Amino acid sequence: MATAQKRVVHYTVNGRPYEAYIEPNRTLLEVVRDELRLTGAKEGCGTGDCGACSMIVNGRLVTSCLMLAPQADGAEITTIEGLAQDSRLHPVQQAFIEKGAVQCGFCIPGMILAGKALLDRNPHPTEREIREAIAGNLCRCTGYTKMVEAIAAAAEATT
Amino acid sequence: MSTYRTVGKPIARVEGVHKVTGRSVYTADIQLPAMLHCKLLHSPHAHARIKGIDTTKARVLEGVERVVTAADLPKFEPRRMSNRAYNLLADGEVIFHGQPVAAVLARDAATAEEALELIEVEYEELPTVLDPIEAMREDAPLARRPVSEIDRAEARGHATVEVEEKASERPSNVASQVKFTRGDIEQGFAEADVVIERTWRSAIVHQGYIEPHATVADYDAASGELTIWTGTQGQFFVRDQVSNILRIPETKIRVIGLELGGGFGGKISLNQPLVAVLARMVGRPVKLVFTRSDDLTSATPSPQCVVELKTGMKKDGSLTAIKAKIVYDSGAFPGAPAAVGAILIGGSYNFPNLEIESYEVLTNKVSVGAYRAPGAHNVAFAIESQLDMMARELERDPLEVRLKNAVGKGDEMPSKARYPSIGLKECLEAIRDTEVWKSRGQQREASLPIRQAAGKPATTGKLRGVGMAAGGWGGGLQPASAHVELNGDGTITVVVGANDITGTNTSFAQIAAEELNVPLEMVNVVTGDTRTAPFAGMTGGSKTVFTVGRAVKAAAEDVRQQLFAIAAERLEANPEDDLESVDGEIRVKGSPDKSISFRRLAGITTGFGAPYAPVIGRGAISARQQAPGFTAQAAEVEVDPETGEVTVLRWATAQDAGFAINPLSVAGQMQGGTTQGMGIALWEEMVYDEHGRLLNPGLLDYRMPTALDVPEIETHIVEVPSEEGPYGARGVGEPSIVPGPAVISNAIEDAIGVRVTEVPITPERILRALGKI
Ligand code: FES
Ligand code: FES
Repeated sequence: MATAQKRVVHYTVNGRPYEAYIEPNRTLLEVVRDELRLTGAKEGCGTGDCGACSMIVNGRLVTSCLMLAPQADGAEITTIEGLAQDSRLHPVQQAFIEKGAVQCGFCIPGMILAGKALLDRNPHPTEREIREAIAGNLCRCTGYTKMVEAIAAAAEATT
Repeated sequence: MSTYRTVGKPIARVEGVHKVTGRSVYTADIQLPAMLHCKLLHSPHAHARIKGIDTTKARVLEGVERVVTAADLPKFEPRRMSNRAYNLLADGEVIFHGQPVAAVLARDAATAEEALELIEVEYEELPTVLDPIEAMREDAPLARRPVSEIDRAEARGHATVEVEEKASERPSNVASQVKFTRGDIEQGFAEADVVIERTWRSAIVHQGYIEPHATVADYDAASGELTIWTGTQGQFFVRDQVSNILRIPETKIRVIGLELGGGFGGKISLNQPLVAVLARMVGRPVKLVFTRSDDLTSATPSPQCVVELKTGMKKDGSLTAIKAKIVYDSGAFPGAPAAVGAILIGGSYNFPNLEIESYEVLTNKVSVGAYRAPGAHNVAFAIESQLDMMARELERDPLEVRLKNAVGKGDEMPSKARYPSIGLKECLEAIRDTEVWKSRGQQREASLPIRQAAGKPATTGKLRGVGMAAGGWGGGLQPASAHVELNGDGTITVVVGANDITGTNTSFAQIAAEELNVPLEMVNVVTGDTRTAPFAGMTGGSKTVFTVGRAVKAAAEDVRQQLFAIAAERLEANPEDDLESVDGEIRVKGSPDKSISFRRLAGITTGFGAPYAPVIGRGAISARQQAPGFTAQAAEVEVDPETGEVTVLRWATAQDAGFAINPLSVAGQMQGGTTQGMGIALWEEMVYDEHGRLLNPGLLDYRMPTALDVPEIETHIVEVPSEEGPYGARGVGEPSIVPGPAVISNAIEDAIGVRVTEVPITPERILRALGKI
């Protein structure tokens, strides 16, 4: 990209301040992966259809491949790397391991953030609500059953 | 009952923690100094002559390092060109929409992308053949220059089939064909009380792994060493292939199979040879990451298939004859599973008379590859639907009809090979006992009088139905090896060369822990790269635990014997009778005070001045006896006859795992494959226009199942031990995908009384079958 006027953006990612000097047409996903070198978020489609790039931006789950980097300027961002506190996994992470909800793992960062975002706003979701919350996140390996179980188990564990 | 301590228990994946914290490294995450980014220019035509390529403008774009076409690449002997792997970039002719024509190397992906638009290619369009049935006609134009010898190295990894496909002699689009016969087919149909004849169609579908193909390669000109980082199901396969194509000895090639974001048969090797060639040209690291559209357009999906099927049954439910003609659309290169399909269509039930022909036909579409039980769902859709139709005509229970005719140990396959121990009947019995199947008919009977009273025909209001089907997969065979070592602190390291996708390393840890009778925490499993790891075949064909697991078991037994020999000497005991391994110690049976710990044994085999040799176990096995895996599944659906919309309400999957080394991961495999089967049945289809161009190269229009589309999938693990597998285990990866289309088709007929003979069963197809459009 030779032409676009570069600019500086600031983010707080997983509680730490970051700054990047970027072309304004780059996506949040590209900047977080390529400039901040946080590669936990994945690109599965680049068109907003798979959820592998999910991040929590100012408390909302977004598909970061569709968000331009400057749109998130100044935002608080949580990526998968920010979920575990020291050596303690987040209950959703823990439950995904225990319930056998992890296979190839490529969808997992997005899926776990979708689960966390749900439990943050609705600590006692029904099965239907869990399925709705992760409907934007495709998983090709698991058939979702164990993921739904894991999120339900994490909800139990936190109460 | 099993007396095992570690195998057979549901164990959470030991390496799962990296995957939930984002630490796992996939290929697209690799960033190397001075690395160039590659993008490919894909053909916009399905068949055309390339009259000229002008790369001048692209080359001078700032940030572009190199633009490469076939003219810059090595040439290969003509016979090699039947193998897509040798067609690095199209040379003079493109034969499918999406075929790579040129490669750009630039400082970043965006610049490379921009440069693609500056490449000018002059094409002269050629006649296309797109429909496999038309492609078989004598006067059909050829999809491509005739294929002489066919290189099938990759396809062989998935299924070991003991018949040779017959290659065609005359130039034609038929790349191969196979025919099986048994008994007297005419006589068979004459004896039947019901004969049904239908044509069944299934669409091209994509494996749908969420991680698109990606490869990084680096070449050091001074040492001649090539390193490849890639997500692959078979790192040794990639090494061998790259060695052949680049003519570099395998000692100079290191393939590092990184974490793989799903493969399902579609990620053996695709761009690795090209990226390696490019890295060698520029002497710098090169990274190629496919976009989703690149992947849908030009990777290797699963074939379209047409099955013409005629079957006969007697009043008592016994089968009399099967006549089938199977046509797989292989796309522009050979590779469709014609022989496998021919075996499977007549392989689940005993037909006294059979005549099965199967064809692999070339067209101007993307060439196909393996997708979880390649070729199986296409034929299962046909035979398992037709079994239901015959049972319905004769008013017999479709599950009992299957049980009556199901194959068992010793029965003959269409290829004349005989089955070893198998669990089809046990799977059917397991499904018979599920709530889903037992509820069959209840919905209908409950609602019918109400409807009739209300004067409503059967085609208004939502209607429910239950269907079932079965299916199987023969399984692949390939030798495998493993090392097991005693570490300095007495813990155990297992080294394998098989790429772990779904938790096979956890199963290996369980196996080693079982054999050495140590806690699981004492065992660590490492997947080495091709420079360090003992050989293993590709992770495909449902054979990783089945073969590599056996090698791990043998290596662990070897370690135990070595430990016993040393301990016996130290403890002055007889190694044969008196010793046992318990919780990290070798003890003399009956005198627990006479013991020596693994840690002490490590000391005396590795320490400075230690008297004994290091303990390294070796396991190397040959695999000769397949262990076919069967599954039976039942589902309840709800159909809205107004809109044609189908909702899947409940699903039960029973599968014979032989012995489930890790029931948690076996169940996960069953649920994943079942869901893919549902996708094939109801939603997924790669749609091509009349010029052979893919119309839906994105995940919005190529519709894979979401969490809202599928119900909870109930699993029933059946265990009929295999002869050769570790603890009786058999392959579990593939079978679960097979019955889905037939299950849905049968359930829909149960609900609304009409039969749809083409998957995906879209609302439009249902409305058409109902005569509403
Ligand atoms: S990569 Fe963003 S939704 Fe798929
Ligand atoms: S675990 Fe592989 S895509 Fe979800």
